[in-house]
Amino acid sequence: MKIKVMKFGGTSVATPESRATSVLRVISTKEQGYMPVVVVSAIGRKGAPYATDTLLQLLNEIDPNVAPDPREADLMAACGEIMSAVIFAHTLKTFGHPAQTFRGGQAGIRTDGIYNNARIVGINPVSLHKSLQSGYIPVVCGFQGVFVGMDPGPGGELTTLGRGGSDTTASALGAALKADAVEIYTDVDGVKSADPDYVKEAPTLRKVTYDEVAEIAHLGAKVVHPRAAEIAMHFQIPLWIKNTFTDDEGTEVVGRDQFPGRRVTGVTHTGKLVYLQFDLAQVAEPDRVLIEGQIYGTLAKYGVGLFMLNLGPTSTGFAVPRDQYPVVQDVFDGLVIPQGVKGVEKVYLFQIGKEPSKEVETQATLLEGLGPVIRVTASLTEACTMVSLVGHEYLQQPGLFLRVLTVLHEKQINVLQTADSDFSLSVLIPESDTRRAVSLLHDRFGLHDLN
Amino acid sequence: MAQETGFEKTRGVSRVEVRAGFAQVHVRSLKEPIMEGRLKLLRAISDADISIDFLKLTPDGFSCLITEGQSEVAARALKSSHADYAVATGRSVVLVYAVNMRDEEGLIAEVVQEAIRSGKAIEHISDMHDRMLLVTLSEHADDLKDCLEKDLVDSEAGGRR
Repeated sequence: MKIKVMKFGGTSVATPESRATSVLRVISTKEQGYMPVVVVSAIGRKGAPYATDTLLQLLNEIDPNVAPDPREADLMAACGEIMSAVIFAHTLKTFGHPAQTFRGGQAGIRTDGIYNNARIVGINPVSLHKSLQSGYIPVVCGFQGVFVGMDPGPGGELTTLGRGGSDTTASALGAALKADAVEIYTDVDGVKSADPDYVKEAPTLRKVTYDEVAEIAHLGAKVVHPRAAEIAMHFQIPLWIKNTFTDDEGTEVVGRDQFPGRRVTGVTHTGKLVYLQFDLAQVAEPDRVLIEGQIYGTLAKYGVGLFMLNLGPTSTGFAVPRDQYPVVQDVFDGLVIPQGVKGVEKVYLFQIGKEPSKEVETQATLLEGLGPVIRVTASLTEACTMVSLVGHEYLQQPGLFLRVLTVLHEKQINVLQTADSDFSLSVLIPESDTRRAVSLLHDRFGLHDLN
Repeated sequence: MAQETGFEKTRGVSRVEVRAGFAQVHVRSLKEPIMEGRLKLLRAISDADISIDFLKLTPDGFSCLITEGQSEVAARALKSSHADYAVATGRSVVLVYAVNMRDEEGLIAEVVQEAIRSGKAIEHISDMHDRMLLVTLSEHADDLKDCLEKDLVDSEAGGRR
């Protein structure tokens, strides 16, 4: 039994026309002798009437000050995929191909029970096999599964898989069903060497390794989720990223043994960031561990995502996503940390930005007379972004970082900070220069002719 | 009857390992325009056929990591470029593996917090999709590894959080 798992993203199921196109792809696959298993995302992208965010907004707008219970939010979010799957299955039926819809749990997908960000712990696809053997095309709701551990309710607890969940569903089903291939259908031709909105002529990469695609996603590109790539890599399932709406052959995600040998894979950019640099010069050496520990402990507690980490002898810095910056500002601006062996001997007062806010001034007034007040000030660079060159260990060749910095310096693009790993070189630059930087690096590193 | 297939790796940190044999290069006291000074010295390092990692810009220079075996060559290259520099040998990279770390809210900050709490000097930090990389003195590397394993890795589950 040759099985192919075909996952269709939000834009591929957004309208009757796009659904018809997607359905024809499924039928074509069936006619080629495969047994297709379909996975769908919710209908449309952010803002669309039945998109996940829109459904969650229905809860949030009841009272923006009361966060929905994670369990209830998962039930609401899962409705998007259920609607999408039922509509897709019915569309298949109207084209003369009987189909059956399966919720994640019905498809045998078991999770670890973490609401909003569950991980798949196992899949028993017995119901999908039965459906296939009965001549149906199974249509599975992406992004969801059930937790049946410890104290399960009847049928288990519905949990969603978090970011990139439908890709993960497809990849995991591919492994459980021992599929011949997993195809992720979207509205671009595959993995591009750069965001086509920034570099129109960015080529589609014909082959990328699992590592490359995971690193590209880690650094901000929305291609296929690293979890999906990881599962495909582990089970050695051929993974493809294709365009629903064109006949482009797409991108094949392959193992390292098939690495095409190029030096640089692409240029990515991470969205809107705010860079903070805490000046610790005034912090007494014995207190450094306490203060730095407090900074990072607080960031961990509030679940803040960090980029471009930088620990120095007299400072520590990092970039945070702009939508998380209000939390950071709220927590740190005016934060007071008393310190002393016998009672309060000194007080550290945190300040975000050059000028003290009202909050900081109020705290300073209240702290008068309590002993020395030492300001820990964070300089702030708003509106920046991270642009990265992604590749393999070829990136570690002498002079590569020099080339990146030289190219940007020649065009007066100010590099605020750098970061690198085995697979990437990144620069933090003003957001207003993102388009120029991406295009420039793409051009100078010859990425137009990658294949 | 189909059998169940086991799946995604456990959340959080799964293992910690140490890579030894590095040296930390510090360049300081560059005059304005700083970036041009940085580029000149990075070119000198590149011309000496030295590969750098963990490049970090500082207000008056930069720092980076090279292999220990290249430290003398790097020192010569920087000296001949009249740089104010230091090359500190005996550095190791501690690798903290955690798949899909960006999906685990606050995990990166938690690793940094635990590394700081260990009391070992962390000179640099970087991250990839499946690991964090921390530069420390080689004499501290194993202790740092032990601390991180103790605080972040659940040996039975292969991960935590």
